[in-house]
Amino acid sequence: MSVSTGFKDDLLGAIPSLRAFAVSLSQNADKADDLVQETLVKAWDKQTSFQPGTNLKAWLFTILRNEFYSQMRKRGREVQDSDGIMTGRLAIHPSQHGLLDLEDFRAALELLPEDQREAIILIGASGFSYEEAAEICDCAVGTIKSRVSRARARLQEILKISGESEFGPDAIATQVMG
Amino acid sequence: MSGQIYRMTKNQHEAPGAGQRRDGSDLLGANTEIGRKLKQYYDELVSDDVPERFAQLLSQLEETAAQQGGRAAAEEKD
Repeated sequence: MSVSTGFKDDLLGAIPSLRAFAVSLSQNADKADDLVQETLVKAWDKQTSFQPGTNLKAWLFTILRNEFYSQMRKRGREVQDSDGIMTGRLAIHPSQHGLLDLEDFRAALELLPEDQREAIILIGASGFSYEEAAEICDCAVGTIKSRVSRARARLQEILKISGESEFGPDAIATQVMG
Repeated sequence: MSGQIYRMTKNQHEAPGAGQRRDGSDLLGANTEIGRKLKQYYDELVSDDVPERFAQLLSQLEETAAQQGGRAAAEEKD
């Protein structure tokens, strides 16, 4: 029983991250909370299959992600493939002072295909390693790497940022004005 | 205003913990605009207030499990 209580506390602690990941995936707050709820119920039912000492957050993200894709399939929605979106016609122009607005960024993120969006979120925001992200997404590490790099390139394209990292911090400093 | 060059002092906007991430720091680190925005976007989501319903749900699951556990133990005794 005390094992369950510890598990419950761990689940409680993971909820903020799960919600952030769910919103990132579904781009919809209500759907995201439904996803989190499903994830918690599933995780609770499967708790004996969780190996203590392994990464609970990664385990939960895997469940949530599977739930997301299975709900999408149920709704009959085709999973977007990486080449299915034309970003060229939808460019977002940064506000005049050159600073990238968070709203602009959010809109740009929404234009990414799901597989790229989840990859860049897992690596760039959730703090997972490429190996962990590959396990969560059930694909090869190389696939995650290429999705991240395509996501980044596409975001730069949409947001009209030139290849900043190639020029190092000095070039960036000139962009970060304000 | 054309021709005016916007120049700023070299200000290193380094987020705390920058460079400590194991992966993705090269492409998505705090030194890149995309990396910074990504963190900002996500951190804002993480810091959202969590609706009460989730804690309630977990308490319900726990209660149900406790009842079932008690019943199973009682059956074992019989």
